[in-house]
Amino acid sequence: MPSSAPTAARSAGFRIVLWAFALFAIAPFGLLVMTSLKSQPDLMRGAFALPSRPHFENFVSAWVDGHFSTYFRNSVLVVVPVVIFGVILGLLSGFAFAFLSFPLKKIAFALLALGMMVPSEAYIIPLYYEMLYLGLINSYAALILPQIAMSVPFATFFMASAMQQLPTDILEAARIDGASRGRILMKVILPLMGPSISSLALFLFIWTWNEFLIPLILVNDDSLRTLPLGMLFFQGRHTVNIPVLTAGAVLVILPVIVAYLFFQRKFVEGLTAGASK
Amino acid sequence: MTKSPLDGRPLANLLFLLPSLIIYVAFIFGPIVVAVGLSFTDWNGLGRPVFVGIANYTALFRDPDFLTAMKNNAVLMIFYCLVPLALGMVLASVVSAVPPRERLAVRTLLFLPYIMPSAVIGIVWRWLYNPLFGPINQGLKAVGLGALALPWLGDFTWALPAVGFVVVWYYFGFCMVIFMTGLQRLDPSLYEASRIDGAGPVYTFRRITFPLLLPEVRIVLLLTIIASIKSFDLIFTMTRGGPANATLVPNIYMYEMGFQLSRFGYAAAVAVFGAAAIFAVNYAVHRAINPKDGV
Repeated sequence: MPSSAPTAARSAGFRIVLWAFALFAIAPFGLLVMTSLKSQPDLMRGAFALPSRPHFENFVSAWVDGHFSTYFRNSVLVVVPVVIFGVILGLLSGFAFAFLSFPLKKIAFALLALGMMVPSEAYIIPLYYEMLYLGLINSYAALILPQIAMSVPFATFFMASAMQQLPTDILEAARIDGASRGRILMKVILPLMGPSISSLALFLFIWTWNEFLIPLILVNDDSLRTLPLGMLFFQGRHTVNIPVLTAGAVLVILPVIVAYLFFQRKFVEGLTAGASK
Repeated sequence: MTKSPLDGRPLANLLFLLPSLIIYVAFIFGPIVVAVGLSFTDWNGLGRPVFVGIANYTALFRDPDFLTAMKNNAVLMIFYCLVPLALGMVLASVVSAVPPRERLAVRTLLFLPYIMPSAVIGIVWRWLYNPLFGPINQGLKAVGLGALALPWLGDFTWALPAVGFVVVWYYFGFCMVIFMTGLQRLDPSLYEASRIDGAGPVYTFRRITFPLLLPEVRIVLLLTIIASIKSFDLIFTMTRGGPANATLVPNIYMYEMGFQLSRFGYAAAVAVFGAAAIFAVNYAVHRAINPKDGV
């Protein structure tokens, strides 16, 4: 047996390395938050100097003058329907894939799997013209409808695999009782799906909140921009006002960080387990 | 497959599928099919598309800008795939050195960049890299490395590695967490046995950890290679492909060709080529790494 002293030293070394990388991962966020609380004179004293006092007025500037109130409202108005309809559609089609037989089931499956692999950049040009012909360019519908559609494949597969884990005797019993399938889905399956639904809702929230290409191409009216887009155009207008720019960035990522810290186990396990399928 | 007790008449069953299928076909699958069709035409977005056969695709391979974009993408794959893979695996294999509670904290922090909006991350790093007031160059000057304080994103040579550095920062924690999950699957008695046999840490890693982690290696490679082919948001907000195409990637080129120059047929060919590349990579990685015969 090797003595424990070098092992302990090595383990301490590994620990330092790990924490150094953890620090590297979050350092940009730390700098971001610190800078968002600085005044312009604070900034002149150097990027790493602490602010003399927290200048929350940067957030007010970003919120009011930087139109972040509009961008924030738009992000919420887009995310909420996408998550709700994404979950509902996922429940319905997940139910179909988990329990029902229908013609061309394998092809339908492949069709949805295709949409999970093809990046949105590949079909954004036809999507833009489709929205143009439908008269939906520069509308909430242009932001919401494609993103519901983009949620469908993942939501379907996620819900189907969760439903396949349900104990079949409960479903059988419900069927023998003569309940309709819609009723079984609503009254028996839905209450058992709580954890899966909340995971799905969380992922759809993050993906939609972070989406960039759809709002970049499908709206050009500032009053319809979501946060990531608003941030980009705000940067174009205010290249020099770094404290307000960083305050804006904090406003965009704060909801994501809060959701992440609350549900971090769900996030990490869901995203990495989902990846291994 | 045994028939589920919930099964019914096929037409009635279809009612559960149709809402999803309709919206999916209308806004995803339909546009995919049209994009493929469009890639065989010449279209300025106004008149009728003119069928040109495979002319767009053959032109792509003679287009020096597209070839630059492909070359840049190949370089970026080092930062998307290899560095995060190596770093993630090394960090995951030493993470057992910290107590479980600390391990959870480290995991939480390392995973954080991955869930952030990449467009905003691009804007934030643009500020961090700013040659005048960016923290990176200020930090370099503060520690006496002022000579290294380059205009990172504006420098023809350094812009691509500078973008690559951000990509590594974005993905390495994610890779580590995937490998951490993989390691939990492994039997601790294997390590016990190799330790008793006197195997050193490098030998243990090479002969036990790495081969047993092949399923995770495959996932990480798949996800990161696909991410590199898809890259758009981060580069769009950081450099828009500049300076002088130094960070141009195919999706940025698609955007320029389509939405700036109205060469929609050509842009569609760029986009379809990227999607086809993703399928090819998926197939190749599944063929090349087969964990069952790897162990």
